[in-house]
Amino acid sequence: MTTSIRIAAKKVQFAAFMLSLVFTCSSRLQARPPTDPQNGKAVFEKLGCFRCHGSAGEGMSQPSSAGKDSGPPKIASTHLSLQDFVHAVREPKGQMPPFGPKQVSDAELADVYAFLQAAASQPKIELPSTANSQNGEHLYANFGCYECHGYQGQGSVQTGGSRLGPPQIPFSGFVSYVRQPAGQMPPYTPKAVSDAQLADIYSFLQSRPQAAPSKSIPLLNK
Amino acid sequence: MATRNKNSINRRNFLKSAAVGAAAISAVPGTAAASATPAAAKVPAAIPISPEAELSSSPAEILTTDRSGSDFMVDVIKSLGIEYVCANPGSSFRGLHESIINYGGNRSPEFITCCHEESSVGMAHGYAKIEGKPLLVMAHGTVGLQHAAMAVYNAYCDRVPIMIIGGNLIDATSRISQVEWAHSVQDAAAILRDYVKWDDLPISLTHFAESTVRAYKMAMAPPMLPVLLIVDGELQENPICADASLKVPRLTPTAPPVGDSGAIQEAAKLLVSAQNPVLIAGRSARTPAGITCLVELAESLQAPVIDQMDRMNFPTRHPLNQTERSRELISSADVIVGLEVNDFWGAVHSFRDQMERTSLSIARSDAKTISINSANLFVKSNYQNFQRYPEVDIDIPADTEATLPALTEAVKRNLDVSRKSVLSDRRAKLAAAHDESLQRTRDAAAYAWDASPVSTARLSAELWNQIKDEDWSLVSTVGFLSRWPLRLWDFEKSYHYIGGAGGYGIGYNAPASVGAALANRKYGRLTLNIQCDGDLMYAPGVLWTAAHHRIPLLTVMHNNRGYHQEVMQVQIMADRHSRGIDRAKIGTTLTDPHIDFAKLAQSMGVYAEGPIADPKDLAPAITRAIQVVKRGEPALLDVVTQPR
Repeated sequence: MTTSIRIAAKKVQFAAFMLSLVFTCSSRLQARPPTDPQNGKAVFEKLGCFRCHGSAGEGMSQPSSAGKDSGPPKIASTHLSLQDFVHAVREPKGQMPPFGPKQVSDAELADVYAFLQAAASQPKIELPSTANSQNGEHLYANFGCYECHGYQGQGSVQTGGSRLGPPQIPFSGFVSYVRQPAGQMPPYTPKAVSDAQLADIYSFLQSRPQAAPSKSIPLLNK
Repeated sequence: MATRNKNSINRRNFLKSAAVGAAAISAVPGTAAASATPAAAKVPAAIPISPEAELSSSPAEILTTDRSGSDFMVDVIKSLGIEYVCANPGSSFRGLHESIINYGGNRSPEFITCCHEESSVGMAHGYAKIEGKPLLVMAHGTVGLQHAAMAVYNAYCDRVPIMIIGGNLIDATSRISQVEWAHSVQDAAAILRDYVKWDDLPISLTHFAESTVRAYKMAMAPPMLPVLLIVDGELQENPICADASLKVPRLTPTAPPVGDSGAIQEAAKLLVSAQNPVLIAGRSARTPAGITCLVELAESLQAPVIDQMDRMNFPTRHPLNQTERSRELISSADVIVGLEVNDFWGAVHSFRDQMERTSLSIARSDAKTISINSANLFVKSNYQNFQRYPEVDIDIPADTEATLPALTEAVKRNLDVSRKSVLSDRRAKLAAAHDESLQRTRDAAAYAWDASPVSTARLSAELWNQIKDEDWSLVSTVGFLSRWPLRLWDFEKSYHYIGGAGGYGIGYNAPASVGAALANRKYGRLTLNIQCDGDLMYAPGVLWTAAHHRIPLLTVMHNNRGYHQEVMQVQIMADRHSRGIDRAKIGTTLTDPHIDFAKLAQSMGVYAEGPIADPKDLAPAITRAIQVVKRGEPALLDVVTQPR
């Protein structure tokens, strides 16, 4: 074999190698399509993630008496890598139930991850000190919140309205959920209910007493 | 109600007995009646006679008869063991009415006076779900069936057998007043034909007998459904020919359809090898035996049961009853079985009613689905109660109750001993989840415990406390009060719960409860009805029926002073359009003035108290009302309640 022939053969080998590389990359791209945040949102709702983590993954944790946050954490714009996120879903710690590959695939979780990364972080809204619970009670009835949640915010399994009184989520999460709810609840825009009115309603709900332990009510132990 | 001029009886008897005789002859050739009256049979067709000529040619006016066609009709009805006939009186079935109360002695069937045909059918609906067989409803073929239509549709959707007779005057020349013309119709059954299983228009007594027995047989064959006969007034009222050969046909019940053995075997294999099987029950139990069958299947597999409670299918306190965990279990199941589930597609999907209506499958993509449903054996086109098409892996068009023993047997045959520990672990986990679920329910019931208006949880708990040691029967739907009774009480027997309207037609609950209480009366059961205000206002006259016929029934109003479902529907629209969210009450509430249901009931002879808005007043009122009911009378408590 002459040198020129060897060089030509090397060129052919190199070209073949490059072609195979392109082909391999292309195959990998086909195996893993780009993530779809829209589908991620749909999967997020389908799995019911919003019930604990809020409609945009804003979380529903509150400071506990021990000074540490407790409750479902914020997962929007999560700092976890995709791999760690999938692992956390498959083998969660704490109260969260595990979700296996047959309930939600890795590809779907990648979409959920993309949705959560894209979800705009809600600025934290503090409950204004001027919030008026009396006006909140009036608004709560007048705006029809009672229809699904009961006059006392006790909730109803029939309507799907969760228990609101007293609130289980911070004011910030409350506002965010009212504006962009998941499930059957219709969204209430600022045009329909202002943040100030929501503050009054929240204040009213805060004034609802905690229920007595059911074990202390004889009729509930029959 | 309509009246008819009796002056025409003679002419009609003369001519129509001949006409009916002709019809009877053609229907039953070779009978004694056929050979006895050949000349009479030809008279109306061959010789046109003016009314004057008719009268002058009659040898003597026949004014009375000892035995009319309707007497024979009563013989047929009695042969079917029908206990009651519910009706608002009407002239188009006056012959049958009179025969029932006189010839039949007003016993089996006994005439129950109703104030509205919707109440008649609603009572029949509730009665059938307790007694497991139909009672008879009579109505005008025109205005009566028009009133009855919604209630018939409910029964059709709820797969309940009801016998309906509509009166009519078929021969136009026999109608003698404007009223009779207005109350006559060419095809009376047309108004109900889309939602009854079968209808007929018998033109002779023999035809009536065969069609009535056939109708009963068809109504009782799964899927059980209402049936309709249009019965001509002349056929009822004309005399039975002295030598007519009439007989009551023998009733042979139809055996319920059992599923294909191959499909059952395939389903059993899937269930046995499943890691997370789920059984969803809709109307799986037709009789008390149906509950036992489902318990046996569930325990053989140690599989969770989600009871949609269209009937009392599965004991609520059974550890495998996982109804409160429905979504969680369906979404993790690898095999899902629907047992007479009305909407299988809906059971495995979630919906969102926002700007765009969306739905998502909540089932795993690899989950196998099996449906056993007798509804597939009878589907009509026009009304869409057949629901969305479900893509199932095994479809068994059969009666579930009749099929479950074979399925359970196949499951037991396929179960390997090595699966025992798996099943035992599964049961332990499910039992623990059941207990946790009950505790969560009780915790949730504690919220708004002392609220006024009374919370629906408190109302349910107060009632349960006073009835739990009685032989009780809750005969109202609980869909409008957050299902608290189903979540808090111990439901076990078939008559503890009977499901809802079926077609979601409001106005069902009050009459169905009275009908169910009528069925429960002879067993001495304490019948309870938690009654929505809007529903009672459709036809409150049924309270009078309960008082008049001494039907013991405790009615406790769930008086939330509105059509609450509709308040929410309007609210959804107002939210969607971002306007007027404080105006959804317009057109949807029952206030200003508040309806005083206690006075309403008292005006019809029913013991009543209320309005009761303070939960502390509830217990003593329930105690007093139960005492009244135990004396054999109806009682009503008007309780002002939270919305749901």
